[in-house]
Amino acid sequence: MARAVTNNRKAINTGLAWLIGLLIFFPILWTFLTSFKTEAQAINDPPLFLFFDWTLENYAVVQERSDYLRFLWNSIIIAGGSTLLGIVIAVPAAWSMAFVPSRRTKDVLLWMLSTKMLPAVGVLYPIYLLFIQLGLLDTRIGLTIVLMLINLPIIVWMLYTYFREIPAEILEAARMDGASLREEILYVLTPMAVPGIASTILLNFILAWNEAFWTLNLTAANAAPLTAFIASYSSPEGLFYAKLSAASTMAIAPILILGWFSQKQLVRGLTFGAVK
Amino acid sequence: MAFTETATRPGPVDRLRDALPKLVLSPTVAIVAIFVYGFIVFTFYLSFTNSRILPQFGWVGWQNYENLFRIRAWDTAVTNLIIFGSLYIIICCALGLLLAILLDQRIRAEGFIRTIYLYPMALSFIVTGVAWKWFLDPGIGLEAVVRGWGWESFTFGWIKDREMAIYTIVIAAVWQTSGFVMAMFLAGLRGIDSEMMKAAQIDGASTFALYRRIVIPQLRPAFMSAFVVLAHMAIKSYDLVIALTGGGPGTATELPATFMYSYTFTRNQMGIGAASAVIMLMTIAAIIVPYLWSELREKR
Repeated sequence: MARAVTNNRKAINTGLAWLIGLLIFFPILWTFLTSFKTEAQAINDPPLFLFFDWTLENYAVVQERSDYLRFLWNSIIIAGGSTLLGIVIAVPAAWSMAFVPSRRTKDVLLWMLSTKMLPAVGVLYPIYLLFIQLGLLDTRIGLTIVLMLINLPIIVWMLYTYFREIPAEILEAARMDGASLREEILYVLTPMAVPGIASTILLNFILAWNEAFWTLNLTAANAAPLTAFIASYSSPEGLFYAKLSAASTMAIAPILILGWFSQKQLVRGLTFGAVK
Repeated sequence: MAFTETATRPGPVDRLRDALPKLVLSPTVAIVAIFVYGFIVFTFYLSFTNSRILPQFGWVGWQNYENLFRIRAWDTAVTNLIIFGSLYIIICCALGLLLAILLDQRIRAEGFIRTIYLYPMALSFIVTGVAWKWFLDPGIGLEAVVRGWGWESFTFGWIKDREMAIYTIVIAAVWQTSGFVMAMFLAGLRGIDSEMMKAAQIDGASTFALYRRIVIPQLRPAFMSAFVVLAHMAIKSYDLVIALTGGGPGTATELPATFMYSYTFTRNQMGIGAASAVIMLMTIAAIIVPYLWSELREKR
């Protein structure tokens, strides 16, 4: 009897959890579905769920109207470039703090991490003025550098927490067996560090991809990534629901795919390692 | 210890090995020091100058701060931040905790559902803002749909209402973040000693008492992290407002970050903008410094 009750309750809880999940996911799902409808079907009464004439026309219109592919390309270059640049700078730093910690390591780490919490407006003027001086406004290289700078603390932090999980005994053992520093790094450390680095890349790519303060404020026509693309649809100007849905689906499509694999990293990164 | 032998003759390679950690750490430290802290010092400095469209270096003391607090839009922005920030933190924590408790009931396909709950967090606030702007638009969104279903008198025009528009930002932000807060609490719940729970159950504690007396007190660290993360996100909020309401109607949903931006770049008041940035910086510092301090002490 007691068992039956538990099973019942379990079923209710599961049902409730699914219902909430559907509720949370509904805006995304609905936007996705609407993007394949004609404008008339999009506002059909009653709303059409799955049984409508699926069309790709909205996507063609959006691409033609605002050259989606150019924004996409900018997003890829900027998010990818800043991530790789950040990793190159951060891996040695994280390695140093994780494996050769000094008394100050913890302080340095928290000090770096604190910068990630500070508002971007605090450094807007100097960066803006520097960009004008150097002619970096609205360039992909400028934005790549800025996003690398603002995400560097989180990259270092993430790498550090992953590196710390690598048992130091293995390195000692390698050293005792006479491995040189180069060999130690190349053959012992690297294979164990790769999963952590990959996770960090994934997280940082998403953070850079979603970054809007800098991408909106430092770009105009040339270097604008997808955040600027979707923001340009904020005032619809003659576009209607189905086309707007197509635009936002295009803007989030890469994240919808990456997001599925990166939940763990997102939580870990955005809680500053508090949740693993 | 056969290895002391090699350590006794420090060649250049060994010295490199010793210096290397500091050497490779220094670029990162230098970058953070210059580009974050150096630049913040510059912003501090600007806030005491008569800078307008470009930086100028005439010292004006506290003038910009005095002016800032006379500007009604700043007043609105601060009030909005208090409303938005407190509602956002409270609702996210409450929903996050409830969702975490629900997911902790050994339900089926938990991993899948958890991922769904977390999905909004992977999106950019810009996307969330634009999507919710349409959803909340009386002409094409929720109101139109519900009226289409036959409830003709249904109205939901908060986004166009000066008094209510700030709450639409809370709605969108809560949608985006509560799954994430759930993940923080779920991790906390998983860390709770199950023996203690069993003991309490055997002693006949009701489920409610169990959670109130045993579970929630043990979630204190999770609450702390959630508070700090949510609070700094609230103060930094910029993109969501820009996409959802653009600070409008009028200036009804301006937050400090959007205020700062518009005062600098549309009104060319760099000095006042810098002053507002400094106030935001100090507020966040007031929240995170004690937190980091306690973290630091704990882990030593």
